[in-house]
Amino acid sequence: MDKFEWRCTINLSDIFRIGVVSGKGGVGKTSIAASLGYLAMCDSDIKAVILLDCDVDAPNLALLFKAKDDISNKDLYTTLKAQFLEEKCIHCKKCIDENYCEFNALNWDNEHQIPIIDYLSCEGCGACAYLCPEKAFSIEMVKSGIIKSFTTINDIPLIYGETILGSTTSGKIVSECKNFAEELNKSISAQLAIIDGPPGIGCPVIATLSGLNYVIAMVEPTPSGLHDVIRVIEVANQFGIPFSIIVNKADLESEFQDKFKQYIREKEYDVIGKIPFDFSVAEAISNAQPVVLYAPDSKASVAIKKIYNKLKKKILNQN
Amino acid sequence: MKPSIIAITGGKGGTGKTLIAVNFAILFKNLGKKVLLIDCDVDNPNTYLLLGGKLENQKEVTFFLPEFNTEICTKCGLCAENCMVHAILQVKDQLPIPMLNLCSGCKLCFKICPVNAIEPSSKVVGWTYKTQIRNLHLWVGELKVGEARSVAIVEKLIDNMKMEIETHPDRYDIIILDTAPGAHCDVEKVISTADYVVSITEPTPFGALDLKRIIKLINLLGKTTKVIINRSSLLGNKDLFIKELHDDGIKTLGDIPLDKEIVNSYTIGVPIMDKNTNFNINGKGYLAFLDVFKNLDQWINSSGGVQ
Repeated sequence: MDKFEWRCTINLSDIFRIGVVSGKGGVGKTSIAASLGYLAMCDSDIKAVILLDCDVDAPNLALLFKAKDDISNKDLYTTLKAQFLEEKCIHCKKCIDENYCEFNALNWDNEHQIPIIDYLSCEGCGACAYLCPEKAFSIEMVKSGIIKSFTTINDIPLIYGETILGSTTSGKIVSECKNFAEELNKSISAQLAIIDGPPGIGCPVIATLSGLNYVIAMVEPTPSGLHDVIRVIEVANQFGIPFSIIVNKADLESEFQDKFKQYIREKEYDVIGKIPFDFSVAEAISNAQPVVLYAPDSKASVAIKKIYNKLKKKILNQN
Repeated sequence: MKPSIIAITGGKGGTGKTLIAVNFAILFKNLGKKVLLIDCDVDNPNTYLLLGGKLENQKEVTFFLPEFNTEICTKCGLCAENCMVHAILQVKDQLPIPMLNLCSGCKLCFKICPVNAIEPSSKVVGWTYKTQIRNLHLWVGELKVGEARSVAIVEKLIDNMKMEIETHPDRYDIIILDTAPGAHCDVEKVISTADYVVSITEPTPFGALDLKRIIKLINLLGKTTKVIINRSSLLGNKDLFIKELHDDGIKTLGDIPLDKEIVNSYTIGVPIMDKNTNFNINGKGYLAFLDVFKNLDQWINSSGGVQ
């Protein structure tokens, strides 16, 4: 399925895939992905870039880039859901009595003596459809997400996915977005893909990390920031993907700073850069631009440009 | 009387869900209420860090795992053929190979194997914890690193909560549920069980867009929500931001400005609203919290919640 296809496609092109993750939300993934993406777009040493937003629950990257031309929108049908076929039902109630559904998505309507499917709980596993002796259930594909894409500055494509609320398949939508990007890249032959990842460490993050060449783990010097980045680094390690760390809001006044620095030192994490707290980052979001474009001389932008230059060496050495 | 269940959510990550969940729990405790705080952000549970405590009473959360008895299996292929998520791989005339990361746990393979060659076994996908910090009862769920099925842990927490309410309806007056960021199934499960849903946002286009998505989900689940604007002084656009929410028919509980004392409380693991701490009770963050909390308390009282 998806995973397998993804594995097949990555061997076909030598695009360098960098994902930005953090575990904890709100640490600056999108701001960094946008700025690194913008710097790469404007860099003549890099042969074409693709920007990809895999935070399909809250896709925000597109808010920072002006759309030039729409490329395409694609509806995704990755979710299966059970449908009840009332005309076939003989009201035997076996579906309930024999516990067909492991997800509590089948409930009995006493008045009408029929099962009711809880749409949100249904996983589309097909157990009811298979087990019902009267074949009174069918399994149907339903729309579960949309992939949108447009070109922006220098005709760079930006791709983002969005889940249909209630369809519960973030991980699959992420995989579909990545497949879409790989497909598009066949005609672009980009050198670099920058991927804005979702928060957390679960299904959508695992789908995002699979097949990446490099991971940037964002952290802020707080107990929860550190706790959460350690968890996502563990996941990246399970995939064997090399990573480095960006400390955001690095100059935060806090008693935790000493512990934080000590931990990073002891673990010998590769810190690729530190970004000081800077109001221009929030102002840039407000003005719908990457911060390196909105305020190129701000403290944050200077730090991000340094990070980009280090990263660029890694990209060029790889190819 | 049954407890009032309040979910704290918001769509975007890092808007202050956990900060607000923890401090609301403390504020209800200060009022003399019996409070249970449940951390349902099982990817990244942070409540106990903000409370300065430790996780205790670890219990495993297990998930179905099909185990194939290779001596009995006739290699008929029925299980692989009917597995909708393709979690069983079978090459013709070979033994089936389970692909466990894809398994949804529907148990259809186990139910339909004609020779009963599939045993229902289980694997650990995470843990739950029950602990007490600062006289606050805290339950936490934690996903095992590398596992994808976080919703199994969330469901366990919710089941435990429902059981607790059924067996001891008077044990808690207030239950606060801290959700993960996003608008996926983990968040859905939590919102579905709540009587009151509070959404936390920040006054940026990111905050606004993600808020609209989470409100859509909340409404889809048949619930309403009231919004708190955190870091409201970030861009000097507070009044306009709130006005735009109100124009869209979104109700608010108030706002909390940027405040060094809040950041400090967060990093040292002492909730700003706890009693007997060194925080300035006339500070802007402290006062804002009191104000927002008063509005929440009124909302609950006016809808016939906790008396």
